[in-house]
Amino acid sequence: MAEFEPKVVAFVCNWCTYAGADLTGTSRIKYSPNVRMIRLPCTGRIDFMLLLQAFGQGADGVIVSGCHPGDCHYTAGNFHARRRWILFRRLIEFMGIDLRRVHFAWVSAAEGAKWAELVTNVVDEVRKLGPYQSFPKRLDGQPKPVEVA
Amino acid sequence: MPRIGVFICHCGENIAGTVDTAAVAKNAADFPGVVHSIDYKYMCSDPGQNLIKEAIKEKKLTGVVVAACSPRMHEPTFRRACAESGLNPFLCEMANLREHCSWVHEKGEATTEKATDLVRIMVEKVKRNRPLYPISVPVTKTALVLGGGIAGIQAALDIANAGHKVVMVEREASIGGHMAQLSETFPTLDCSQCILTPRMVEVAQHPNITLYTYSELESLEGFIGNFKAVIRKKARSIDETTCTGCGACIQKCPTKKIPSEFNAQLGMRTAIYVPFPQAVPNKPVIDRKNCTFFKNGRCKLCERVCPAKALRYDQEDMLVELNVGAVVAATGYQVKDTDFFPEYGYGAHKDILTGLQFERLASASGPTQGVIKRPSDGQIPETVVFVACAGSRDPAKGINYCSKICCMYTAKHAMLYRHKVHSGKAYIFYMDIRAGGKMYEEFVRRAIEEDHVNYVRGRVSRIYKKNGKLIVKGVDTLLNSRPVEIEADMVVLATAMVAQPDAEALAQKMKVSYDENKFLSEAHPKLRPVEMNTAGIFVAGACQAPKDIPEAVAQASGAASKVIGLFSKDELSREPVVAVVSRMGPPDFSTCIGCFLCESACPYQAIEREEIKARDGRLIKTVAKVNQGVCQGCGTCVALCRSKSIDLQGFTNEQVFAELVTL
Amino acid sequence: MEALQKKARALLEAGTVKVVIGYTAGTDVERARAFFARNAEQTQQLIFDARCCQNLATYLMKPEVKALGKAALVCVPGALRTLMQYAVENQLADETVLALAVTDAGEVVELPKFAAVEEYLAKMPRGLTPEQQQELDRIDKLPLEERWAFWAAELARCVKCYACRAACPLCYCSRCITDVNQPQWVPVASDPLGNLEWNVVRAMHLAGRCVDCGSCADACPEGIRIDLLNHVLAREASAHFGAEPGYSTRKDYALSAYKPDDKEEFIR
Repeated sequence: MAEFEPKVVAFVCNWCTYAGADLTGTSRIKYSPNVRMIRLPCTGRIDFMLLLQAFGQGADGVIVSGCHPGDCHYTAGNFHARRRWILFRRLIEFMGIDLRRVHFAWVSAAEGAKWAELVTNVVDEVRKLGPYQSFPKRLDGQPKPVEVA
Repeated sequence: MPRIGVFICHCGENIAGTVDTAAVAKNAADFPGVVHSIDYKYMCSDPGQNLIKEAIKEKKLTGVVVAACSPRMHEPTFRRACAESGLNPFLCEMANLREHCSWVHEKGEATTEKATDLVRIMVEKVKRNRPLYPISVPVTKTALVLGGGIAGIQAALDIANAGHKVVMVEREASIGGHMAQLSETFPTLDCSQCILTPRMVEVAQHPNITLYTYSELESLEGFIGNFKAVIRKKARSIDETTCTGCGACIQKCPTKKIPSEFNAQLGMRTAIYVPFPQAVPNKPVIDRKNCTFFKNGRCKLCERVCPAKALRYDQEDMLVELNVGAVVAATGYQVKDTDFFPEYGYGAHKDILTGLQFERLASASGPTQGVIKRPSDGQIPETVVFVACAGSRDPAKGINYCSKICCMYTAKHAMLYRHKVHSGKAYIFYMDIRAGGKMYEEFVRRAIEEDHVNYVRGRVSRIYKKNGKLIVKGVDTLLNSRPVEIEADMVVLATAMVAQPDAEALAQKMKVSYDENKFLSEAHPKLRPVEMNTAGIFVAGACQAPKDIPEAVAQASGAASKVIGLFSKDELSREPVVAVVSRMGPPDFSTCIGCFLCESACPYQAIEREEIKARDGRLIKTVAKVNQGVCQGCGTCVALCRSKSIDLQGFTNEQVFAELVTL
Repeated sequence: MEALQKKARALLEAGTVKVVIGYTAGTDVERARAFFARNAEQTQQLIFDARCCQNLATYLMKPEVKALGKAALVCVPGALRTLMQYAVENQLADETVLALAVTDAGEVVELPKFAAVEEYLAKMPRGLTPEQQQELDRIDKLPLEERWAFWAAELARCVKCYACRAACPLCYCSRCITDVNQPQWVPVASDPLGNLEWNVVRAMHLAGRCVDCGSCADACPEGIRIDLLNHVLAREASAHFGAEPGYSTRKDYALSAYKPDDKEEFIR
């Protein structure tokens, strides 16, 4: 039986973490291929519902990463994101959602090595936790986004 | 029906060496909506780009996904290629198969699977892309420069010389700022007014510059390229057009004992006055608070002697409305007064001065004609103690920062004193000597080696008066913290350079950010030192942070170059990745319910209020509206909006959702 | 009660208000329901006793009620706090509603301006009660699986009737996020994911805004403890961001603001 390989979704900001991941690439640092990145202009853009959606779509772990406080390309987007996460984390923890599967980080455009390390650590942790079976999934046949006419 | 073209790049061996690109292209051909899917060696090359262009035309593609390197590398390249074939460039997206896939994973099935997933994610996104067009914002090619000090003067001249109109607003009756008060400047010891006044005259005479002195900013509305400023021209009580500047009124004014602001309270001026002889404009102003006529209704001597009949006692403040495209904030600084120091007598001792006051004593056109005299008894001091870091770098006094210029001007003051009083003894109590600029270190060395200024490393704990002398109690830390006591005739405190008292109010009027010390905040401390977060407003000089004249001038030219760049086109073209509030027909007009929590969150204050009215003028609702000239596209408002009434073009909710659902 | 009826009558007769929104006897002895007295005679049906706990401020957001003209509102403390929050969120202008607070002694206090409401509320205790805190702590202390099991069981009962949304005065969006189908944020069916996401969304949308009127939990036909979700976020928002919704008209939404040193030990 194939060993369980976790699916991890990463929501990243364009200016810092996406660029940092690019640097990981140009530095040829290897990390696990389990991550799928969703590029957004800023962590401030990340709606908390997207994290739940990711789990609902079958993700076993989620990473959210952006610029360090004070370095946001849009000056304050990550500050707003941080507040949102402080509250969101508390709520989902209270409800019994596994916080070990949700990781927040600041990865700057210069931290290529940190990105690789982060992904590898998160994937390893989530692999040990196993698939996130208890989280409800979008039912098969639930409307997928409509084909655009 | 979407018709998406997928182009997988090998990037030589960079991608193809690890990812089975042929397989990815084959899989992509089966994605819903994809009508064309190929792989090729180098998509960014000319032949590669031609493949895209031809496919757009032949297959009538409605969207393109180039799966190659990072979009940060080649998104502009491929978007341009699409635009050249008639496809809106924003209908082109890139999937990052190189930096995020082939370069970081081992060759194998998992890597090819990831590559396929990445392509699928971008196909789902691009199917929901809308054509976007650059946003054009008209630009008024007039700049508003706030502040007539050296920074404001430099910025105004640079912009005016580039052919654009400038309006300069200065609060005092004359431009020149603090630099006009200085005697000689470091490190060259050239006469401050000699280098400044020609510039001041140039400003006054420049055909492109309109100068409003004795005026302040009343309000600032609008956005980049389209500001509306209201200036309050305070009543001078003089008709500037008829006044010839002969000065007869000043000579005859009976109220002569008003402490002169220009002379830092060391000299006197009259009620009708010009701040200093080289003032620009050389037109007087009546200080109505101290003028006998305005206080008691009697006098009017000035009117009687004025040959030009220029007196206008009933003149009122005037409000002037201006349309400007950019603002340069160059409002300068002030220095802390001696009463800030309980340990030095709360400002009660006349012979304890600030650095600025010493400048006036040393100045040839100052209250003592350049002779260093004690304010208390007019005697020439034999021993002068200079205290550096008076208030700066002192968390206990609430000023954590270094005021930057004091080490240099303290050395300068000591040198000037020694030049004028050959037998005098000068002591400087210092913590460090910060002389980082060009020729600065050499200057300080001169003070020590040629002018024999005594540098004592230690702080001054107390100064008090005894028998007509000022007892300065300090310590010499380089001699084992031995206590040092000096009987001084005069003490000069290098007091901290702080923001203007109304800096906060002005920043709020302009809606720009400022820090805890009320210095204006630059957009990025290293890479954007002359811009501010509010688009179209630039900053120069000491109002941003303590700095010396060369730096203020450099920053002013930098700010000017940004303004000139802004004015180089008639319209400002902006990337359309901006937020948009939903609008629809009646009865809702918008799903926005007008809670405006987005308004307070926007880092750029790009969200405005829009009143939706019925035909009879009745207000139906007030909703949010994004100013597309200011919005930078961060999307914070989008994540914040509960009813999802605001969305970000280029990263819409639909698009992001679709990307997620492909998993 | 009499004082209230008298006051209502006086207000309507003088034309100061066009409608008095209060409570009247409900369908059975244990219930009260909302009542809109439009003339002096109808004021006789107004009651005020322990049954009157529904937050009537919700009605101020309805276009049909707005069309009636200036209203007087019989306010329980939760409703007063709601008025404050409406002011913060630009939903209500000052002096457009006459708040009538009823003291324990049955006296009616007229509060015509937001400033008066603010002053009245300043005397009241604020924050979660010890009982409310204990309930939160009890669940917090459960191990992860048990916490999840508790909430899975609670939320399984949700039938997506949205009574909580209807009762909540701060759920006034003309188009709720659940009504958006492109993209579909919250699956509409009463399935595990949909129920979870609906309740998470509502709790988060009220974070820093909820004035703890209790109407949501009261309204839920299944008796689900959704108020616990609001309480845990209220506690967090208060502790970390000093959020005190409902006690002032200051524009102070926790999620619209930030401090450079907001705590972040969970961020790598």
